[in-house]
Amino acid sequence: MMRTIEILLVIIIITGAFIISSLFAVLPSPRQVSPMNLPRLALTTLQTLDGDYDLSATVFKANNDPAWAQLQIALSACLPPNLVYNLTVYEIQSGTQLYTPIRYFSNAENLGVSSESASYLTASSNVTFDVTPEKIGEHSNSGTLYILNCSDANGWWITGYTAQSLAQDLRDLLSPYFKKTIMVQNTTQLGQMLDNQSLQGETLQNAVVINTFGECVPIPKDYCQGYGRQNEGYSPSVAPASPYTRYCYTLGQRTALYNWTWVSIVGWPLYYVSNKEAFENADNTYGIYGMQLVSRGGINAFLQGLDNQAYRYDAAPVAFSIPGFVYLSSTVSDNCSYYGIYPSVNQTSTRALSTSIINDYNLTVALKIFDQVGSNIPGAVYDHIFRNDVDITGSLLALGLTRTPDIRLTALGLLAYYNPRLYASDYMANGTSRLVVLQLGQAGGV
Amino acid sequence: MAGSTIDHLVSLTIFLAAILLFISLFNQTIQTAILYQQHRHLATVCSDLLDNIMLNPGYPLNWSKTNSTLTSFGLQDPEFTQYRLSPYSLMRLQSLTGIPFTYPRTGVTYSNMSMGFGNFLFVPYTKAINYSTAAQLLGTTNTYGFNLTIAPIVTVSVKETHAANPLTIVVNVAGPGFPLSNAEVSYCFLKVVDKGGQKNPSYTSLFSTTYADGTGSAVINMTNVDADNAYVFIAYAHMSGLVGIGYHERNIGSKKYVLPLIDSFEDRRVLLVHSYNVHDEGPPESSVFFNATFVLLTEDFTLREMPMEDSTGKLGKVVYGQGTDKTWANLTIPTFNPGILIATYQTNNEYGVVLMPWGLSSMAFPVTFGTTADKPEWVVTDIRQVLVNGIAYQAKLSLWSLKGYGVIG
Repeated sequence: MMRTIEILLVIIIITGAFIISSLFAVLPSPRQVSPMNLPRLALTTLQTLDGDYDLSATVFKANNDPAWAQLQIALSACLPPNLVYNLTVYEIQSGTQLYTPIRYFSNAENLGVSSESASYLTASSNVTFDVTPEKIGEHSNSGTLYILNCSDANGWWITGYTAQSLAQDLRDLLSPYFKKTIMVQNTTQLGQMLDNQSLQGETLQNAVVINTFGECVPIPKDYCQGYGRQNEGYSPSVAPASPYTRYCYTLGQRTALYNWTWVSIVGWPLYYVSNKEAFENADNTYGIYGMQLVSRGGINAFLQGLDNQAYRYDAAPVAFSIPGFVYLSSTVSDNCSYYGIYPSVNQTSTRALSTSIINDYNLTVALKIFDQVGSNIPGAVYDHIFRNDVDITGSLLALGLTRTPDIRLTALGLLAYYNPRLYASDYMANGTSRLVVLQLGQAGGV
Repeated sequence: MAGSTIDHLVSLTIFLAAILLFISLFNQTIQTAILYQQHRHLATVCSDLLDNIMLNPGYPLNWSKTNSTLTSFGLQDPEFTQYRLSPYSLMRLQSLTGIPFTYPRTGVTYSNMSMGFGNFLFVPYTKAINYSTAAQLLGTTNTYGFNLTIAPIVTVSVKETHAANPLTIVVNVAGPGFPLSNAEVSYCFLKVVDKGGQKNPSYTSLFSTTYADGTGSAVINMTNVDADNAYVFIAYAHMSGLVGIGYHERNIGSKKYVLPLIDSFEDRRVLLVHSYNVHDEGPPESSVFFNATFVLLTEDFTLREMPMEDSTGKLGKVVYGQGTDKTWANLTIPTFNPGILIATYQTNNEYGVVLMPWGLSSMAFPVTFGTTADKPEWVVTDIRQVLVNGIAYQAKLSLWSLKGYGVIG
């Protein structure tokens, strides 16, 4: 009997051991067995919302700005329906209280039994080291930048880009340096410019005109065959094979008249003219419609107009493919660091202008963007100055590089030519950073 | 003496029974704990593997744009950091869900990522990464099986509610949890101008922007569109960092058309083939003439047409037979910027337009890559929000162990 009692005692002891060990071996709730990585999901959600800096822009807006509601809609839209969230934005301050909540919103009363969070630091645009550039022409009657962004024209030798995308990039790069930047949206507006009509109250004189259409130039319909101003754009009697060479002559005249700096960003300047409506059924022989071939005579006619010579058709080549590999000039290289623009120092030139144009058209090389190779200038700014005169009457920036264009070279060339100064301002430390915390929980269950 | 023996026998029996019972009970507890640990470990591996795929561009870095042999697997866009994936790497994943097909004229088999008629994406198997290669490069062969789904977060559905004059199109924008109220909708409308029979078609295009209402819906009316006009409508919706894409085509006829097949990523070359060569519907059949163009999404979320030169092969025709005419045409995409190849086509009595994304995100195509689980004991999933060329996607990885679960058996 004693043995049986002893065994019962042993059973009681083992039962006690089992109960005690079971109390310590607490198994997790089903949700924790195979958890979704909520902190990572929260972080990637915030990064997605800030993919185009929308989140950074929104969190610095006033509390009653509609952007907050849009942020909440976007957040609700991108998370799975079984997730609840709480988004809180904190102001980062110095002093005793480092983080002060300034705004929060949620899609639930509470975040369930457990939640995870991720934080994301956003910076306002003021946090960067601020540099204020001197505006070109702020001390004179100039300072307008025209960028040809005509929707009714096609480009050539800008492969991989559209003229409009290049125009956008150029505006971003150069508009801080000019008093006014005008995007010329169509050829009608270009026609107004040619007629000395201001588009937005800007100063037309001494402006810079960037042709983003590569080897092609937009032409207003009025200057085309059968329209009112055809005599200034179309002249088959002088050049039967390339009648629109006349338009390039007009451009040269206007450049001289208004003392513009005409900018050609790539290739042979003024090799085609384009107007999608007027040349609806004409192509450049390579399948790009809305375009007419001008050929070699275009740049010669432009320079004739610039130099106030009589218009004649001259198809003698002034651009050559001899240079091949070319290098940035030392002047322009020095400006790379100053303006923070770093294109490759060596490029390929297949349309370098000949030095012969300097004497033929009273030009002066004001800035060599690339080093000269023999009698070829791969890229430069030419000032037109009449003999025995000192005043500049029109300039030409021509980059005779092969396609595809790098518009940073255009920007750098212009900045090196005008040389606007940069004024650095103070680093603004207060109120420049905000912390966004996204807390996620799973709805329902235990 | 007998009483003592009985006492021993009873006590020993009870003792052995109790020991067996307690061993079983302890074993149960230990098994549950070990299974928990294994499942927890699997969840950790899943999260790590997903990060490994998303935060690593692979090697060579530009493998998705070249013919290089892949030596390290990853989908991150090499030009960015964080969770931004390359639209070209995603194109080169062998689709698990699409039914592959072999083009009889060349004998090449294609991975099929198409999203219904008119929205095609075919990548040669020889250019696509298969599951076993990816598993080997990730070190999961014979240890884990996985399935990766990358799908757009924002759904932009485009429906035609009135056929002609005006053509009425309704665009609905929503995420998985909520409609995107007041989203900005940028759209491209391209109408095929049927020139009758054996000529290359032409097209007219219109680009514009509108806004969705409070329910995420936008109604767009198009004038000068007849019921027998073929067209394509592509819409990009954008709000607070979320971008989505939707499209809709109307084709006249559905038998004779051109089909785009990617031929070379490095050379950006696409083959346009006659549909009868794919479906083998039998000769004789008339040539299909085409006229292609390319549109891309700019940084300001508007669509822009990029004109193509003749040398790209944008104009041409393809035939069914094996005569002197071409049974396929070569077309070169003009850029490595992601966009949409739009090929308008016409033959004697059928005409329309087909689309192909250049970069998976351009048309918000989803992709499922990996293998299917064969009765796994436990499958874990993890998700990340990612950007593919600015388009918001969700990446979901399902992972299971191939080692069995010996603790139970």
